[in-house]
Amino acid sequence: MRRRLFIRGSFVALSVTALFALQATFRQFPGIEDDPYPVPPDAYEKTEWAFTRLMYPSGRHASVFGEIGSWPTDYPKADRQFVQGVRRLTRIHTRSSEQVVDLDADEVFNWPWLYAVEVGHWSLTDAECAKMREYLLRGGFFMCDDFHGSGEWNVFLESIQRVFPDRPILEIDNQDPIFHVLYNLGQRVQVPGIQYWYTGRIWEKDGKTPHWRAIYDDAGRVMVAICFNQDNGDAWEWSDHPRYPERYTSQAYRMGINYIIYAMTH
Amino acid sequence: MFEFLFKYPGAVFQKGQFVLLAPWPLWMLAAGVLAVGGLLLWHVFRYRGALTGGRPLVIWLLETAMIALVLLLLWHPAISIATLRPQQNVVAVMVDDSRSMAIQEGSQTRSAQAVGVLDRKLLAALGQKFQVRLYRFGKEAERIQKTGQLKASEPASRIGDSLQQVMAESATLPLGAVVLLSDGADNAGGIGLDTISQIRRRHIPVHTIGFGRAKPERDIEITDAVLPTHALADSRLSALVTFRQYGFAGQKALLAVRSAGKLLASREVQLKSDGAQQSEPLLFNAGLAGPQTLEISVDPLPGEENRVNNSVRRLVNMESRKPRILYMEGEPRWEFKFIRRAAEDDRSLQLASMLRTTQNKIYYQGFADAHPPDDGFPAKPEDLFAYDGLIIGSVEANYFTQTQQDLIREFANRRGGGILFLGGRFALAEGGYLHSPLAELLPVRLPESKGTFHRDFAGQELTAQGRASLICRLVEDPERNAARWTSMPQLANYNEVGEVKPGAVELMKVTPAGHHATPLLVTENYGRGRTAVFATSGSWRWKMWQDHSDVTHATFWQQLMRYLVSDSPGRVSGSTPRPVLADETRLTIRAEVRDKSFKPVSNAVVEAHIVTPDGAPTSLELTPVAAEEGAYTAEWNAEKPGSYVAEIVAGRDKEELGRDVVVFRREDGVAENFHTAQNRELLEKLASETGGRYYSASDAGKLADEISYSEAGITTRETKDLWDMPVVFLLALLLRGSEWVLRRRWGVV
Repeated sequence: MRRRLFIRGSFVALSVTALFALQATFRQFPGIEDDPYPVPPDAYEKTEWAFTRLMYPSGRHASVFGEIGSWPTDYPKADRQFVQGVRRLTRIHTRSSEQVVDLDADEVFNWPWLYAVEVGHWSLTDAECAKMREYLLRGGFFMCDDFHGSGEWNVFLESIQRVFPDRPILEIDNQDPIFHVLYNLGQRVQVPGIQYWYTGRIWEKDGKTPHWRAIYDDAGRVMVAICFNQDNGDAWEWSDHPRYPERYTSQAYRMGINYIIYAMTH
Repeated sequence: MFEFLFKYPGAVFQKGQFVLLAPWPLWMLAAGVLAVGGLLLWHVFRYRGALTGGRPLVIWLLETAMIALVLLLLWHPAISIATLRPQQNVVAVMVDDSRSMAIQEGSQTRSAQAVGVLDRKLLAALGQKFQVRLYRFGKEAERIQKTGQLKASEPASRIGDSLQQVMAESATLPLGAVVLLSDGADNAGGIGLDTISQIRRRHIPVHTIGFGRAKPERDIEITDAVLPTHALADSRLSALVTFRQYGFAGQKALLAVRSAGKLLASREVQLKSDGAQQSEPLLFNAGLAGPQTLEISVDPLPGEENRVNNSVRRLVNMESRKPRILYMEGEPRWEFKFIRRAAEDDRSLQLASMLRTTQNKIYYQGFADAHPPDDGFPAKPEDLFAYDGLIIGSVEANYFTQTQQDLIREFANRRGGGILFLGGRFALAEGGYLHSPLAELLPVRLPESKGTFHRDFAGQELTAQGRASLICRLVEDPERNAARWTSMPQLANYNEVGEVKPGAVELMKVTPAGHHATPLLVTENYGRGRTAVFATSGSWRWKMWQDHSDVTHATFWQQLMRYLVSDSPGRVSGSTPRPVLADETRLTIRAEVRDKSFKPVSNAVVEAHIVTPDGAPTSLELTPVAAEEGAYTAEWNAEKPGSYVAEIVAGRDKEELGRDVVVFRREDGVAENFHTAQNRELLEKLASETGGRYYSASDAGKLADEISYSEAGITTRETKDLWDMPVVFLLALLLRGSEWVLRRRWGVV
């Protein structure tokens, strides 16, 4: 109960800030896996880019995630380990900490790159769908990740098809610049979550085949990059763990960086 | 009155020389005046009686003046003047026979008034003293025998050319004077200094008689419309329309621009006071590629006398070329993405970009038609100069080698390209530009200190120049446009860029909360090209914080990029000094030819292929201009009215160096419908500079008497006494009378 109140309070705080069109600074939220996690000393630095995590409601699809919902999955360790790679491997001026935003306020418009995890458990309201549509049409980029199998796909569709009822979801062609903007990722593998440690399977549920799908804008640019049947978030989160295979981490970092640079160039 | 008082016409005093005919020297006159003055001074003060204060001095002055006048008359003053010998000289009478003389004023046309002046008295009076040669003139002079041959039908009047022609024809004749009857509507825009000098050398006075009202009663006239001669297709253009009106002060009129009858833009303007020049900008999109004939007009108001002068035509070549811009960016950032999107939405621009994604990788975009450079930023002139514009983003100055920095400078200076420097954490002062050769290119003096890049939101506002600039024009109305800018979303960041350099133009300021406003957008011309600073990398918020259908961000960036490249010349650059030949036929076509490094080429073969208004092709060769390397020119006659398109092609050996298109237009009868009020200033100036005199139609009768006083032709010198002028006796009477009256009032008679 206290946690829910805290989250709601955070929503209000963010919304009021957005009213004044001031860019929100870093704010630590309670996680569900890595709480508490140390805040980097330069967490409040003003930078060009920050890992922006979407705080969405899960509603009736909350399932095992409970009231807090699925949005903080892997949070904040995955975010902070991934940005270390972005800092080291690119010239993007990157913040060491993530930025959490929701679609109830306008703050999201200050962050043209947006990431959401476990979108097989999201449940956007109509207003949030409209806000996301506007965000994407203005030039925002949305990467979603870590959902598996036909059941979660259908849950994902419930919301995303209210964002774009008229735009198809397509497989991204291997020649698309998003796979080549920095790293050539014409050959890709399925990136598993840490359940791989226990099961030895790289797939979950009935999601045996990985898909890199997208929704395009009228100029043929990717607006929504959909990483289905794969778990890049876990690959970032456990990249420092000896049991998690390096080849998956390596692809997840490259894929994430490609998506960021694509979002900043197209 | 003048002649009654002074006995002779004013011309005698203007042209004659004052002389004293008495045999005594002038110093004796001065000594006499001084001596008498001294004597009188002693006398007046010695016997001043009841005169007190300054009164003796007044009496002394009046008496001394009287004595001085008498002494002057004793010295026999006179005027020595040259006069034409009767029946031995020729007087040329030139009558303006152009269409503007057919304008009805009162019950008569101007031409009829001129004929009336001539037939009633002037020709006969002149004929008694001189041989009179009568001419009519329009574009050129033609001798006629009688005034009945005047038709007021010539499409243009060229006073200077016609005068020269008459002077040439009468070179062997004793031409004593020229009488010119005209309304002063000269199509050449004035009389050349050569013509004036030629007339003055021969001492021939040109007397002018003016016809036409000084100003119309109810009329609006466009006096000029300034537009670029060329622009990129689909560009927003600004026409600066200058006009004046009589009789409609305070009323509203519609300023419009049309192409082939289609309205492109219009704006309501309030008319200023009668006769005042009024200049108004009018923005419009001239549309697709190709020569566009634009009609710029003020829609006629009810009761206007002359509606023909409400519109002018201008020719603009909307170019089909797609200028290429190279954008070098030092780090991935949102500004880069949104600039690229704005450029992609513009069909007339090509943006090729190089982005340093990592320390050792560059991501190339927009090089579809050309290979990206192998080794990053171009290091050869022919590679860099293939672009028309250059954008330098968040890149440290020392990222560029010395050679590249020199090339960037020459890109603006020699190649004539446009360079835009963006803000950013590695840009401007932060990027070490202050102490690099590139500092010279910047339109601002960068601050010495670091820490000038701020990731803080800040607003923006237009300066006075920004309000007038096409780059910053989002909506046509200047006030609404300025308000639009201040209500825009804030920038994500900004750089402090120091002071604006002299000669640079500050268009926009950034207004951070709690800090002083600093320059945001500054432009300047540099060499043959231009440079600009846009001291932020945060304009992307204009896109992300406005509705997705809002095009403000794209419009601004497209206009800024077009500013960079629209005047970047190609390797062959053609021009003509006057793209509209108003009742003229002669024009000069000029071309500048350069090689791939944009160095002048002096051994090129340059041809102009001209398509005339009826579609007939013709060619002419341009010849090198002496002492101007790479410049070629040719003179040509535009035989017919209408629009002409000239494609200039330059080659060397078997290689084509480049080509350019020049458009021009010949319009006939333009000046006859414009400036239809009498151009008295021109006629007065012509008369005064040649020793003649301006007459109005009503006092033209005096001309016959005054025309005799001339240094030209066969003359004799006359001496005219001045002592018996009525004014002398009146002056003497006044002096003595004044003294008497004063003495009476002061009681000392």
